[in-house]
Amino acid sequence: MESPIYYSKSEFIETDTGNKVSRRATIAGPQNIILGGKTIISSGAIIRGDLRQSRPGHAVVISLGRYCLVGEGCVMRPPYKTYRGTFNYYPMKIGDHVHIGAGSVVEAATIGSHVEIGKNCIIGKFVIIKDCAKVADNSIVPPNTVIPALSFFAGSPAGFVEDLPESTQELVESQTKQFYQRFQPLDRDR
Amino acid sequence: MAPSVLYHCPCFSRHLVPPPPHLASSSHSFHPLHTLFFCEECDAVRCNRCVSVEVSGYYCPNCLFEVPSASVRAEKNRCARNCFMCPNCRNTLSVVPSDPPDVGDGRIAPISTVGEPPFFLYCSHCRWDSAEVGITFEKPTGLAAQLQKSEDSAPDSLEFERLKEHFDPIIRASSLSSSSSAVPSSAAHSHHLHSTSITAAASAALARDIPGVGRYNPLSRSGRGTGSKDRSANKDEMPDYKSRMDATTASKMGSGGGLPDVEFMRHLENVSDVASLEQRWSYSWATSLQTKDLKPLRIPLHSKRSKRCPACTHILIKPEQKAQSVRYKIKLVAANYLPAISIALPHQVEKFGHASAEAAKRPYGKATVLTDEEKEAMSGLLAGETYPFHVSLTNPLYDPIQVKLSVQRMHVAAPSSDPGTASEKARRPPFVVSLSTTPFSVAAFAEAWEYDEDDDILDDDELEARLSGREKEPKPKTKTVGILEKRANITVVGGEVMLRKEARGNVKFNMLVSYTYRADDAPADMGSPSKSKAPATKTFAFYTVVELGPIIPREETRIDVDT
Ligand SMILES: [Zn+2]
Ligand SMILES: [Zn+2]
Ligand SMILES: [Zn+2]
Ligand SMILES: [Zn+2]
Repeated sequence: MESPIYYSKSEFIETDTGNKVSRRATIAGPQNIILGGKTIISSGAIIRGDLRQSRPGHAVVISLGRYCLVGEGCVMRPPYKTYRGTFNYYPMKIGDHVHIGAGSVVEAATIGSHVEIGKNCIIGKFVIIKDCAKVADNSIVPPNTVIPALSFFAGSPAGFVEDLPESTQELVESQTKQFYQRFQPLDRDR
Repeated sequence: MAPSVLYHCPCFSRHLVPPPPHLASSSHSFHPLHTLFFCEECDAVRCNRCVSVEVSGYYCPNCLFEVPSASVRAEKNRCARNCFMCPNCRNTLSVVPSDPPDVGDGRIAPISTVGEPPFFLYCSHCRWDSAEVGITFEKPTGLAAQLQKSEDSAPDSLEFERLKEHFDPIIRASSLSSSSSAVPSSAAHSHHLHSTSITAAASAALARDIPGVGRYNPLSRSGRGTGSKDRSANKDEMPDYKSRMDATTASKMGSGGGLPDVEFMRHLENVSDVASLEQRWSYSWATSLQTKDLKPLRIPLHSKRSKRCPACTHILIKPEQKAQSVRYKIKLVAANYLPAISIALPHQVEKFGHASAEAAKRPYGKATVLTDEEKEAMSGLLAGETYPFHVSLTNPLYDPIQVKLSVQRMHVAAPSSDPGTASEKARRPPFVVSLSTTPFSVAAFAEAWEYDEDDDILDDDELEARLSGREKEPKPKTKTVGILEKRANITVVGGEVMLRKEARGNVKFNMLVSYTYRADDAPADMGSPSKSKAPATKTFAFYTVVELGPIIPREETRIDVDT
């Protein structure tokens, strides 16, 4: 039994698929952002779906899977580079059961499923994080770093610390589901 | 700190009872449930400290390329592709081209799609680049191969090759002689002899007399007759090894030590010109002190590992071959056998919930999630108070189980090693735990109860009812000890802890959990056919250590003890 985490009902918008998005979050280019369902975008988060390849029409810029959490004050910005003289943004893809701690800045290219990113981290451009990996609080992951599956990274620059247990997937899955359940609207009469 | 429950692994100790919770050795023998394994054959919990580990595959942690074990040795356990580590900060280096030639009037697109040679390695974190140390590349691929030549001619690798050459014939000779001996040579057996002859050769070398160093006598340590005979034979046969380079002249070759270093330090203007110990000590050779001599490092390979039961050698963990797969062909983890136990202090849960609610009510409230510090401040247990606690058990088995909990009596060591403590007070346990020892049932796990797409374990109405019930009126004073709740495959039982007035330290106690399950109806993957003759029920018992949190001492007690 863990305590519920309350939020003010008026602050969050809940979608049909159970995504909960704070009105205090900045969602730029919402048509280019996909949320998988039961994903929470906290207060003060900034998601830059507007930064995309200069092509007409829609394009997926940032996609998040199910049971994800974008913590308070996080910045999610697609990575960019100049290739053969042309400047371009590249899409960011995030799997299921991914928690990103408060105050982190993410410019990764891909983040697998069951990944935990701590608070106040900087995940550099084009970083690739594989499944079930974990990044400690306050880590700086330099651009283009690859974090292998089931490994724990920490430090500045972040480096390999240890292998995570074989049951990490089940553990993270139940933790992220529990978090979603605990995240409850506060009764109006209180 | 939130209350925690850790599980005991006896690790072959003959004492199946864990050490008392207040000893430092306690933390060594208890582990989180999700890190433990379970051997069906031995019917025992195993942990990472006692399982035997085998490498089942190698891969580069950067390019994620799977390296066949045959080439691992030749490549010295490091990635032989394009992966290098910054010698300055250990970040991964990237290959960058030189600036395109500037024709003057305007920008000209690079002639080649990959960029302009020469290429060099660049660190995006600390901005170190390999051109600084004179390393550049003609093409941006196969960098390790391009560097091979200079790596192979480095004094340390030359010395290593020479050592290998020196010992190779000895190893080959001894393994030949062992395989030609009367003993039939099964692969495993010859491997065994082979490794002992290597060890013997090494210890013979170590056993040589060094002036001024006490004599090492290997015979006094091991009494195995054949082993010592081998060793003495090897000692005689082994020729002296002469190093390529004399240690006293090595410094002149730019490999560190001696006068040149003194000279360098004397004229030092910038501390960062000296390479830190951390930057230098992973080299196998004494290297230059200077930062400017640091070379890029090939990235060490990682491995995927299988784990075996140390007693019966059955496989407990066998990963899938693919390096980045998080699946397992075999995965016998304790969480699939033992009930998962979690502990909560209702007064804390209420406080946290209340604090979170307060934060949510604030119009511009910053945090709705509590920080660890805030939790810490709220979670203390006051000396002299009594607190209820909830133990919730989740059954992972497809059959119901009967569980019995018993708190281990605290045996406070009679002779107090701490001279400062008053012996009378020290002998009394600082707290008393009351928890019913009556067995209770936990229902079977069923797939349907798993959280699913739209089916949460608690439906919202129920949750809201419970939450609002708790908040509107003071909690109805129902029983706090005994079975409190049963739902799905979870049973919650209540206990109480009474802290003495003079209590201090942590509320931490050992708890024995024994559970009885039906053995014959076990799922197909549990137990071999031979086990079907076993009795209809089986009981398994294990120890846990429960930590409820730190005790906040009473003011007068603190003064009392301090004086
Ligand atoms: Zn063990
Ligand atoms: Zn590599
Ligand atoms: Zn660097
Ligand atoms: Zn076994």
